[in-house]
Amino acid sequence: MTYAVDVEVAARAVAASKIYGSGDTEVRALDAIDVEFASGGFTAIMGPSGSGKSTLMHCMAGLDTVTSGQVIIGDTDLSALSEKDLTLLRRDSVGFIFQAFNLVPTLTAMENITLPMDLAGRSGDREWIGEVVNTTGLADRIAHRPNELSGGQQQRVAVARALASKPKIIFADEPTGNVDSNTAAEILGFMRSAVTDMGQTIVMVTHDPVAASYADRVVFLVDGRIIDELADPTPQGIRDRMTRHGA
Amino acid sequence: MLRLALRSVLASKLRFVLTSGAVMIGVAFVVTAFVTADSLRATFDQLASDINTGSDFTVRGEAAFGEITDVVAPPVPAEILDDIRAVDGVDIAEGGLFVPGVIPQDGEGTPVFSRNGPTAGSNWTTDETLSQFFLVDGRWPVGIDEFALGASTYSSNAFVIGNEYEVATPTGTRTFTLTGTMQFGFPEDASVGAVFSLFDTATAQTVLGLADQFTQISVRAETGTDLEALRARIEAVLPSGTEVISAEESVEEFSDALGGIISTFQTVLLVFAFVVLFVSAFIISNAFNIVLGQRVRELSLLRAIGATPRQVLRSVLAEAVFVGVVAVVVGLGLGMLGALGLRELFAALDLSLPDGPLPLKPRTVAWAAAVGIGFTIVAAMVPAVKAARLSPVAGLSEDFGSASTKIQPWRVLLGAVLLAGGLILTLGGLFWSFEGAAARLWSLGAGSATVFVAVSVLSPLIAGHAVSVLARPLKRLFGIAGNLAGLNAARNPRRTAATAIALTIGLALVSLVSIMGASFKATFHESLRSSVNADFVVTSQDFAGLPGTVASDLRATGVGSVVAFAGDLALVQRFVVTEDTTLVDAHEVFFNAVNVDDLPDVANLDIESGSLDDFDSSTSLLIHNDVAEDLELTLGDEVPMTFVSGDTVELTVAAIYSNSAFWGNWLIDQSLHERFATSSLDDAVAIKVSGTDLESARERLESALADYPATDLDDRSEFQEDLESNLNTLLILINVFLLFALVVALVGIVNTLTLSVFERTREIGLLRSVGMSRVQLRRMIRWEAATVALYGALVGVALGTGFGIALVTAIPDDIIGQLDVPVLQMVLFVAIATIMGLLAALLPSLRAGRMNVLDAISSN
Repeated sequence: MTYAVDVEVAARAVAASKIYGSGDTEVRALDAIDVEFASGGFTAIMGPSGSGKSTLMHCMAGLDTVTSGQVIIGDTDLSALSEKDLTLLRRDSVGFIFQAFNLVPTLTAMENITLPMDLAGRSGDREWIGEVVNTTGLADRIAHRPNELSGGQQQRVAVARALASKPKIIFADEPTGNVDSNTAAEILGFMRSAVTDMGQTIVMVTHDPVAASYADRVVFLVDGRIIDELADPTPQGIRDRMTRHGA
Repeated sequence: MLRLALRSVLASKLRFVLTSGAVMIGVAFVVTAFVTADSLRATFDQLASDINTGSDFTVRGEAAFGEITDVVAPPVPAEILDDIRAVDGVDIAEGGLFVPGVIPQDGEGTPVFSRNGPTAGSNWTTDETLSQFFLVDGRWPVGIDEFALGASTYSSNAFVIGNEYEVATPTGTRTFTLTGTMQFGFPEDASVGAVFSLFDTATAQTVLGLADQFTQISVRAETGTDLEALRARIEAVLPSGTEVISAEESVEEFSDALGGIISTFQTVLLVFAFVVLFVSAFIISNAFNIVLGQRVRELSLLRAIGATPRQVLRSVLAEAVFVGVVAVVVGLGLGMLGALGLRELFAALDLSLPDGPLPLKPRTVAWAAAVGIGFTIVAAMVPAVKAARLSPVAGLSEDFGSASTKIQPWRVLLGAVLLAGGLILTLGGLFWSFEGAAARLWSLGAGSATVFVAVSVLSPLIAGHAVSVLARPLKRLFGIAGNLAGLNAARNPRRTAATAIALTIGLALVSLVSIMGASFKATFHESLRSSVNADFVVTSQDFAGLPGTVASDLRATGVGSVVAFAGDLALVQRFVVTEDTTLVDAHEVFFNAVNVDDLPDVANLDIESGSLDDFDSSTSLLIHNDVAEDLELTLGDEVPMTFVSGDTVELTVAAIYSNSAFWGNWLIDQSLHERFATSSLDDAVAIKVSGTDLESARERLESALADYPATDLDDRSEFQEDLESNLNTLLILINVFLLFALVVALVGIVNTLTLSVFERTREIGLLRSVGMSRVQLRRMIRWEAATVALYGALVGVALGTGFGIALVTAIPDDIIGQLDVPVLQMVLFVAIATIMGLLAALLPSLRAGRMNVLDAISSN
């Protein structure tokens, strides 16, 4: 591994494989992947459709299980957890940002942000939550329902929700896939500052080189395998690599 | 398009089952009502024609008025039998006796009597087809100390042919040797729950207290005789006060009398069926609304590629027809089972329905089809029209499917108008002056129904807020899951209202019934308290009544005043004098004959005017002031009263009393009644103890009653309990029927919830991914259902209570005068409804819990 041992690892996969079907219809969505995500890092996972990038994220986040190998968040081996423990892990140690439909329509923005803590029956770190809300720039719209917010505002609330419980790691699945480029920049900037200024750990799946360029590191996936990595990426650099790998 | 409709039906089998399940129950109810009533009719028609096959004519005493089933016709003198036999063309004629209240005691000393048919004494005749009594075992009884029993009575009780048994008769309890068994009707035993004790003719006349008399004479003509001419010849030899009826007339009379009861029974069942159907209409409408909401994209695509609005409408209605047809087919089967179930239910309540065949007539099928398919189409009409009006681009807009929560002005206006109209009619029913109670009740009924519709129109406007308020404790109890449950229940007020209304209707009816029942009991309790001075009341356990000797034997114990009550019908004439004519206004009234001298000991009449001191036993009459008002009678008025026997006496109003109508509205002296009575049975005997304590009085009374099986000696509280237990049986029966409406409501909640959960798949996926546990998810769905149920239940109980109070107020005070709202019962109803809501959520919440989180998030 290229990272020094003194860097704390938020999550890692060891020889993680995910196989659908068997025999002739067997599909290897993940093929013995080894990867680590350092604490305080912003990683983008890229790859063509069907490369396994979403599967990797789902397995890393405890939404799906690997067929073989290990997935570890902090010190916890996910393969050893029951469905109930996985739920608790998602609630306490993992944050999520989806492409769309991130918010519960019946709850206000603020209630959505505190949802994971409410589900856990905890009040959370109020000071931290206040800081997160301030950072979103939505303090004045925090009592509104999602349908009263713009698409960009909704996604910022989603990011704030992911941050609010101070998870070990946040997974974002195409968080800007559904918005225009200005809004995308606003959301990505917010995620970037969450990592830089607030010390959070984010792993983002995207197919957009511009979005990926906000990350510290880009991991390229093809056919369920990691075939390349790029540190401190630029959009052009990413495009070059993608062309090289035929993606 | 038709194929598309069927596809869409079959695409979601569960939804389909639930939707048609709601109609199915209603259809099944309709089928049960008709099949049961038809079965009863068939059974009794068969019985009537069976028992009349052996004779061509019946000669009997002529009742002055009234239906033969309501009054006891006077007996005919025995000597006319010879005159009839002498008539040319008469093959055979035999005198028959039939007197109820003849109760045998079996070998264990248990009185054998029936609550479902007569327990009567009669006589056998040599020609068995004439009397329809056929010997089964042993031999016919001959002489004063022998009797025979019905074969079914014999086999189901401890009797042995050749042994001696005690039999209570109108002339006292006597001992007879059992000589044989017989059956009534042939080849089928048609005695349907009756208990017959048979004697030879002379013995019957003696022990039944009808010396030289018959209750009827059966006549068979010689073959080939012109029956019309024969009838005229028989009539020619008969004294006045007798009549001849043909076998056909006799069958018709019997069928008519029972037909009325059966039709009422059928109507009552149909009313319940329509309540259930009404409830299911809301549920079907709601289901179609939700499903079409979910299919907006598909429907607008159809419109975009060229389907006309009419085609969309047709495809939705085709779906409704399909749902209806399946509901009807299954409902027919369920209805037949329901008819069997109804027999079991009645049997469980100590009532019984005969085990006849269960005829499924074309009329029943037609009704089932009409209501099943009809209600479904009507219910689907609004959603279908809405679907047809969809624009081809509706599916492209973001906000599809989610119902708008805008307040519709038409809804406010319509609701307000209906509510105002309904309240005016309801309050009018209470406070306007009406001619009689019926009009008052009509106004009230129409008003209540209108208020109901108004509430269903307005409910979507308040459902959101009301549900939010009701769900408030959930947040504290269950945290975010409880909070979300409340928010979900409130998020689509129209859907919540439509789901809840089914429960509202059911609970409104249940509460209404329970208020009526409780008030009736309270009224009875109050009238017992204020108008009965008696310490004990003796009644008969069968419906025949008490032999006249009961009162005299009880009087002989010397425990105090003993007053017998004998109810009977009479015709009362009022002369209405107008300017140029005098009209006779005749009223058929129910009166009680009592020993007026002792009456004040057991009854508190509250004499308003006149006095009992002036009472003359052969010319005086006592009336209740309600009657006095209705018929404009005052003290000293002369009232001609005609008895069933045809005798008329002029009576003078000696006093007007005002206490509750517990003792009836008309009272005459028993000595007067005895002169004209066609039956010697009393209905009840009231006893006021004096000079001894109640305990020892009771012992003495009980020993006096030892000779009279099937009598009940009740003190005041036992008397109250006895009457209440009858009422309770009725209330249970009504509530069992209403339970079906509640079951339909439950199906409605399951339906809505299943569809809502399906609709919120992505939201559930999101919640699960951010850490909602299965337990929390299930809890959220369960309490959403419970909140909707609670809302429906509260509105229902509130409406039911309002209507109940109004109804009790409007019903004349002599029937229900005391209002009693059983609060605890209401609370219980609400709790049960809420629990039903929790149960309804069982399946949907399990399904939601089993959803794969990833699939849920990525579903569209």
